[in-house]
Amino acid sequence: MKLFDPTSKPVERAVMLAPRPTSLRGLRLGLVDNTKFNSDTLLRKLAERLAARHGMRVTVTNRKRSPSHEIDEAGIKALRAQADLVISGIGD
Amino acid sequence: MRKGTLTLTPALSLSEAEGARRLNEDTMSEIDQATDPAALIEAYYDAGWTDGLPVVPPSDAYIAGMLAAAGLRGDEILGEIAGRNTEVVAEKAAINAVMAGCRPEYMPVVVAAVRSLCAPAFAYHGPASSTGGSAMVLVVNGPIVERLAINSGNNAFGQGHRPNATIGRAVRLIMMNAMNTRPGLLDRATLGNPGKYSFCFAEHEEDHPWEPLHVSRGLKREDSAVTLIASNSLYQVYNQLAATPEPLLLCFADALGNMGSPNLKGFNQTLIVFAGEHADIIKAAGWSRLDVQRFLVEHTRRRLADFKRTARIPGAVTEQDETTWRHIFENPEDILIACAGGRAGSWSACLPGWGNKWTRSITTRIDVPGRTA
Repeated sequence: MKLFDPTSKPVERAVMLAPRPTSLRGLRLGLVDNTKFNSDTLLRKLAERLAARHGMRVTVTNRKRSPSHEIDEAGIKALRAQADLVISGIGD
Repeated sequence: MRKGTLTLTPALSLSEAEGARRLNEDTMSEIDQATDPAALIEAYYDAGWTDGLPVVPPSDAYIAGMLAAAGLRGDEILGEIAGRNTEVVAEKAAINAVMAGCRPEYMPVVVAAVRSLCAPAFAYHGPASSTGGSAMVLVVNGPIVERLAINSGNNAFGQGHRPNATIGRAVRLIMMNAMNTRPGLLDRATLGNPGKYSFCFAEHEEDHPWEPLHVSRGLKREDSAVTLIASNSLYQVYNQLAATPEPLLLCFADALGNMGSPNLKGFNQTLIVFAGEHADIIKAAGWSRLDVQRFLVEHTRRRLADFKRTARIPGAVTEQDETTWRHIFENPEDILIACAGGRAGSWSACLPGWGNKWTRSITTRIDVPGRTA
């Protein structure tokens, strides 16, 4: 019996993860709003809590073109340069 | 009985059935498992590679024929979805096309459809993975329609025609197997719809009021092309009394603007399919494609109060909301119009596009080796 595998695995690409922060105190916060309903509200509330508890401040916000689209290169560059930690959301 | 063959057994009495069972067991024992189609079909089920229907077990020769018919090497990349680290390799597409039941000459249509799926403007991730559960609707145009006998007439959306059934099925199998878009994983459809098995039809270009769909989208009439639009609904629109375009098209405007539709707020696209009697009404009135599109842009609308009463927009209804209109479409060209279906019957259809303006329908030319169209 000979079977032909119709499946493909995702292409493997090396991904370099940013170093994890050891403390949240005073970090610069980036927000990525994927435009899902209430995503902006939820991210804003999260940012307020992080500011109150850890002294973090929002330094850059990226509003995606749609949930289906990736962040463009300029957006990635801004997040890299201006944020220590990024929150992206939301799922539904 | 010849080795490697099976017979179908008609209805039998109990005693006859017992005898037949013994006979079939004996016969089965003689069958080389490697040549038993049923065993192969079960093996593809066991591997989790089917859409729920039995598949045609591929062979080296059939896969090679599929690739040759599209002028492809097995290692060619047909397209990629960068954000999902997905590449569609020609050989995998060919295996899935065989499994779907395609003939080799269908492969160029499948390839064009895959290229449409991978076009950045289609934004694959949304329509493929959304809870909305869209069908990938394929409209085929051009000379290839007649060569492959793709149905554009009676029961154009229904069963009974091999190219319609298998081309659409191949595209869905490629999505599942070669693009990792499996139900419950990266296909998050809440309900899905039967069009997710297959949704492919041809445009009926004869007796068409205007130029065919692919020509309206920038290709030449002698080109063959496939247009892909993701749609999570199919509404059949009925009107047997209308003799002029206005009342007929108001039915479409109402269907497209119903408050249950997911697509009321984002200026998405939609596909309208006129069948014979309705196409005749519009043709007889001398309306152009743009006339129809403009009429629908103008009349597909709801009051802001409707949005609020149905909680599609938050907030209390104000007096002003009762006279404030919201239009569902922004641009005439976002209403795609095709003609298909039987000559008899007062039916047409609308297929609202998935999502908002961030996903676009895609028309791709079908390239057949050795042919110009």
